[in-house]
Amino acid sequence: MKRWMKKVFKGKTLVLGGLAMAVALSGCGKASEQAATGAASAQPASTAQADKKDAKPVELNFYFSGSANVKEMWETLAPQFEKANPGIKVKLVHLPDGQAEGAAIDKVLGAKKAGQKSIDIDVFETGLSNLTKGEKDGVWMKMDSTIIPNLSKVDAAYMNDVHQLAVPYRASSVVLAYNSKNVPTPPKTADELYDWIHKHPGKFAYNDPATGGAGSSFVQTAIYNFLPADAVHNADPSVMQQWDKGFALLKELGPFMYQKGVYPKKNQGTLDILASGEVDMIPAWSDMGLEQISKKTLPDTIKLTQIEPAFTGGPSYIAIPAMSEKKEAAEKFINYALTPEAQTVVINKMYGYPGIKWSEMPADLQKKFESVAKGYRTFTIGSLGDEINKRWQREVAGGN
Amino acid sequence: MVIPSFLILLLVVVIPILLAIQESFKDDDSGSFTLSNYVFLFADKFMRKNIGFTLSLTIVSMVIVILVSYMLAMYLRFNQGKIVDWIKRLYFIPMFIPSVIGTYGMISMYSNHGWLARFVLLAGGDYFPKIIYSYSGILLANLWFNIPFATMMLSSALAGIPNSIVESAKDAGAGRLQILGRFIIPLSYKTMLVTMTFVFMGIIGGFTAPFLMGPNAPQVLGVAMEQMFGAYKEIGRTSATAVFMFVLCSFMGYFYIRSMIQEERS
Repeated sequence: MKRWMKKVFKGKTLVLGGLAMAVALSGCGKASEQAATGAASAQPASTAQADKKDAKPVELNFYFSGSANVKEMWETLAPQFEKANPGIKVKLVHLPDGQAEGAAIDKVLGAKKAGQKSIDIDVFETGLSNLTKGEKDGVWMKMDSTIIPNLSKVDAAYMNDVHQLAVPYRASSVVLAYNSKNVPTPPKTADELYDWIHKHPGKFAYNDPATGGAGSSFVQTAIYNFLPADAVHNADPSVMQQWDKGFALLKELGPFMYQKGVYPKKNQGTLDILASGEVDMIPAWSDMGLEQISKKTLPDTIKLTQIEPAFTGGPSYIAIPAMSEKKEAAEKFINYALTPEAQTVVINKMYGYPGIKWSEMPADLQKKFESVAKGYRTFTIGSLGDEINKRWQREVAGGN
Repeated sequence: MVIPSFLILLLVVVIPILLAIQESFKDDDSGSFTLSNYVFLFADKFMRKNIGFTLSLTIVSMVIVILVSYMLAMYLRFNQGKIVDWIKRLYFIPMFIPSVIGTYGMISMYSNHGWLARFVLLAGGDYFPKIIYSYSGILLANLWFNIPFATMMLSSALAGIPNSIVESAKDAGAGRLQILGRFIIPLSYKTMLVTMTFVFMGIIGGFTAPFLMGPNAPQVLGVAMEQMFGAYKEIGRTSATAVFMFVLCSFMGYFYIRSMIQEERS
């Protein structure tokens, strides 16, 4: 209760609180959402909107989620876009990590189910799991390079992964971060890594998988390395029976972990103890690692590397809800996000990988990212990820 | 004059509680009536451990908080001097420190490579006990955050005891323990009850410190609820846990209110 109140008092999130309430009151959701939509999109037909374009700027409602660095990035990009496209205003709606994003996606899904004609979300930035939730119901608009010319710069395989429903505009992956002072030769494969952990008790840590993607990636790869390669794209619960070997490995590694089985909370929790020297090796997000090395919050002896088979990673996507009434402006916005200028901002602010091909990027940036841009695996196991976390909580964390 | 406050009470307290109770009897997928959320709460081994962990932590913390605060408050009430003055000025500082800051402060003080461990190392010690990321870590945080508040409450109660009572008792030959048992505790136990109620409720619903410096398992209910709601979206189970905590707190509140009513009647 207390936490909830604190969040609501943060001002901006007031809107979200109201939104969450609207979703929660599912019975009367339809009416209240329409009321909320009222002001933003009074004119139902898109032709009426085109006429008005000259007189009044189109306001794009852009919902995005993520940590402070994502917010900072969009706060830089949006004014640049507005400058290049007078007549379009971008209203940024930041969804802090956690429940707000779920509420917003529920709003999109709920509007579709309730049979509404429009929605006041024009561009949505989200991860793979939310995207697949909406795919069945057809809530996202299909995109191709005829409407968004810069899509030709994006690797076609990534677009095919999501059936052209969203644009991967940036990516990052989990990598191994290690202290090169104490670890001259880092492990190159997963087996070498587990071996290293056994030989250096207390010097490795991964974060509680329910609290951050880095730990979750370590757990998931440990489990799925025992399974056939195509299992990582199988969201069917029958796969769960094959997890035992992986969990046995994690349980067995437990006593060799930091403080014999302490799994810090959040991705930052492990980075903190790596910085203080309590551990020598952790799985970490490449963007967080690179950012903190360059800002000197991690000592410069910390190096990043990828192992084989790779940890998981993945793009963040932007999509256009099919019910948006300002698609034309939304397409322009996405097109802008895929220009090399915008992508350079993405890289510099987020330390992420660009959404467009490396060959489209300036040469000096290509060089800078050589060490981590090796690749990653994308798991699409859907809600099985939650099942892994629950079982981990009981068997691995509960075992000590 | 009553209507605005009643409306606020209705909107921010009564309706959310009713909604939570309603949610707790609903199946997450089908929305039909079910008791399975409560069955999960009490039958699941992991959840039972969490409940036991939370209750033990809350009660142990509460008892220690009350003991320490009582002693501190009495020391401040019946002694004079420079040290007393300084303690009076300083003891409530933790109340003004946000819990996240306080918790991170404790982590950098007591963790394995924290300040304390470095001093131990400097002094030639080679072993430092694991204080945080465990039961003792949360206990420490609970004491840190609650002792100032409890001391403040009890100090105000003790300030209401006239010096003349204590002095005349002394003149009549009463010992220290007799004064404590016959005068001080009877004259301040109501405030102690209030303090206990507040400390209990504050600790049982605690989140920040247990999340940041508690063990991964078992979890206190606040952390478990956050995980069920935020990570797994199990609204029914979360609501059931919330209702259970609400019942625990109202149990505590019941005794408090009853003693208040008795007071008014007499």
